[in-house]
Amino acid sequence: MANENLSVWTSIPFWRRSAAWVTGFASILLIWLTFDTLGQISMGTDEDLKAGTIKRVPAPTVINYNIDYQMSKKRGHEVPIIGAKEPFFGKEWSVEEAAELLHLGKLTSQSKNCMNCHTLLGNGAYFAPDLTKAWLDPMWSDKGPMMPMTGKSTREEAMAEFLINPSQYPTHARMMPNLGITADEAKGLVAFLKHMSSIDTNGFPRNFSKTAEQFKLGVSHAH
Amino acid sequence: MEILITRPEIAIDMFLPIFVVSTLVLVFGVGYAALITLSKMGYFSKKWMPLGYIFWALQTYCLYDLSVMIQSEPFTSKVLMIAMVAYLFVPHLYFRLIEDTDERYKDTHTTSNKI
Amino acid sequence: MLTSIKTNSFTNEGQRLGMMYYRVAVILFGAQLLMGLIAAIQFLVPGFLFEIFDFSVARMVHINALVVWMLYAMIGSVYMMITDETGLETINIGLGKIAFWILTVAVTIVVLVYIFVQVGAGTEESIWLIHEGREYIEAPRWADIGIVVVVLIFYWNVFATYIKGTQTGIMTVMVANLLALAGLYLAGMFFTDNISMDQFWWWWVIHLWVEATWEVFVGTLAAYALIRLIGAKREIVEMWLWIEVLMLFGSGILGMGHHYFWIGTPEYWWEIGALFSALEPVPLIAMFVHVLYDWGKEQGAAHARGETASVITNGPAMAWIVTNAFGNFLGAGIWGFFHTLPQVNIYTHGTQFTAAHGHLAFFGAYATILIGMMYYGVQKANGIERMKMTFKTKMGIFLITFGVMGMTIALTIAGYEQVLVERAELGATWNGFFVAQELAWYVQAQTWRTVMGVVTLIGFVYLVWDLLTIGKKTQEVEA
Repeated sequence: MANENLSVWTSIPFWRRSAAWVTGFASILLIWLTFDTLGQISMGTDEDLKAGTIKRVPAPTVINYNIDYQMSKKRGHEVPIIGAKEPFFGKEWSVEEAAELLHLGKLTSQSKNCMNCHTLLGNGAYFAPDLTKAWLDPMWSDKGPMMPMTGKSTREEAMAEFLINPSQYPTHARMMPNLGITADEAKGLVAFLKHMSSIDTNGFPRNFSKTAEQFKLGVSHAH
Repeated sequence: MEILITRPEIAIDMFLPIFVVSTLVLVFGVGYAALITLSKMGYFSKKWMPLGYIFWALQTYCLYDLSVMIQSEPFTSKVLMIAMVAYLFVPHLYFRLIEDTDERYKDTHTTSNKI
Repeated sequence: MLTSIKTNSFTNEGQRLGMMYYRVAVILFGAQLLMGLIAAIQFLVPGFLFEIFDFSVARMVHINALVVWMLYAMIGSVYMMITDETGLETINIGLGKIAFWILTVAVTIVVLVYIFVQVGAGTEESIWLIHEGREYIEAPRWADIGIVVVVLIFYWNVFATYIKGTQTGIMTVMVANLLALAGLYLAGMFFTDNISMDQFWWWWVIHLWVEATWEVFVGTLAAYALIRLIGAKREIVEMWLWIEVLMLFGSGILGMGHHYFWIGTPEYWWEIGALFSALEPVPLIAMFVHVLYDWGKEQGAAHARGETASVITNGPAMAWIVTNAFGNFLGAGIWGFFHTLPQVNIYTHGTQFTAAHGHLAFFGAYATILIGMMYYGVQKANGIERMKMTFKTKMGIFLITFGVMGMTIALTIAGYEQVLVERAELGATWNGFFVAQELAWYVQAQTWRTVMGVVTLIGFVYLVWDLLTIGKKTQEVEA
């Protein structure tokens, strides 16, 4: 068959080599982008927070600050705003304490299997509300129903109390089960949620701030 | 931070058209590729080929419509339309490939593992 | 009836071990459906098994049984084809059998712990002993390590046989792809306090499995099956396999970007994710056309030779593989594409849309072809020349496909309602979530989902019944 003019397009070695090159190229590009992304999503430091340097994922000590989520004209979507200092469970947490608390919270979020009912950053199961900005949810604000219901006067204490005895404070027929969360674990979880709400998620969930604003003005969503 | 792509709001009554149109893009795309390939291979009569091109035109329109509905940038819309022109050639290339492969390997009868 | 599982006319040990994997896979498939049903009922009746067997537990077992039965069926399929492809008996098959038993005992313990222990305290021990609480890869750390060991043994079986035997194109793709598939699991085996980092690597496992390496695995199986079931030419099938690998990895690897839109990762993933995931349906279309084309061509050639019989030597397997060609395109292609662009995804991310896509894509792309391979195993086990579909085969295919399509459509409607009410209007707040969950559209959609889940389960019963009896029945007919 040597005299026949064989097209490269029907040659198995040609496609094998092409497949190898394309796969290799795509993998190298992915690895390169991964290095860049890892740099951008690694946690900031306490110094960044003090200096007001914006990090996509701030240091654990962000729990010592007020966090908001507002429309940014420049970026065309909502972004987290880290504001003035505010006490968290009645105190300011040192770098070590905050890191330890966040560690406990993240561990608890995994061992209690939060992700198989809720979504975290939009990933997980779809049986319970998204937790990405749960810390900022109007339900927990001083005008919301959860503080009076749990008999607590701050957002974090109300959340912790709810997490310890969730089925005692039902809001809907579908309830959160009691998962045996201890008082310490609950504090850790609230720190984990507050930290997650400070992550720059490129505007996800959208329109969250608008609804939160309407809630403050007393507009109801009765349907 | 420099200005990045802005994400305009999608109106509530736009979601259904968006989902329908994005499905149609793929459905017309498969229809076009299948009709051209099958009629060239002789499974369908050649009469069906114009219908294939109509599918291509519908697919192009749907993709354009989708890019408008999700408020893509003008540049992106142009890139998409160029991609659609490229897609006009794909089934023809695909058919050539099938034909040439059949021709090249017509004398081999390997189904076992021995090549 | 049960004698048909014992009857076996396997010509090599690899196929015998493959069949053992298939049996466990079918049991886990059943467990997956039961758990799915419990979870579906919990959407409608919130008090159902509340604080006894909560949604989180049912859902965890549901998706874990899914992943594990598919991995079992995949390993089984590799053992099923290895001797055919390499021309050699699997090397160190005895070790492979020991690995099978270790894996099966470990899986049993893990499932029992999921079901009876459910949750632990917020400590490292819980992550090591109970579960990791990370969707799809919940297996506790001890089991992770066990899985790595077992997979290394399995890989040794495959690799050593490949190196010594005939190195076909199909086996070359298989060996390279399995290495990537197994290696990626390691990306999911560490703990970090940073949730963005956590999810970044988590997607390395999940995405690069289901949208890259598993898809290539399916392409490899389809190539093997086309040769075995309809006598397609190896040269043509292998050439197309390389083209598929090119397109699947070319689009799938960077298609990862569509998971990096909202987890804290930078904006450039929007463009990368949108571009490459828009390309992801292209190889699925090619695979679809290719399967139908080869089938048509071989049948045409047979007619030209004056043969009237079908070229298909295994009707049920071929039927499932054709379902795979359709299902892969519909579930992964269409349902994937219509919520993958960032403009739309910001509203659909984390709604029932994802669930709809997940159901149809896992079924269409993976369950179908793996069931097809099980029928191929049954054919080999009974030494049957030609196996035809029975009434039960048809009922199985029809009810399962109809049930999964029904669930998908119901979940899509639920997701659509959720997008409008919870996301576009109420901004994914707690209140917004529940308003959307309680509207009639959503509740009715969930009701239909449950009904269709029951249909799927009935189809599964037919499938198992058929797998158990078809071999014996065909043998009797042939005798």
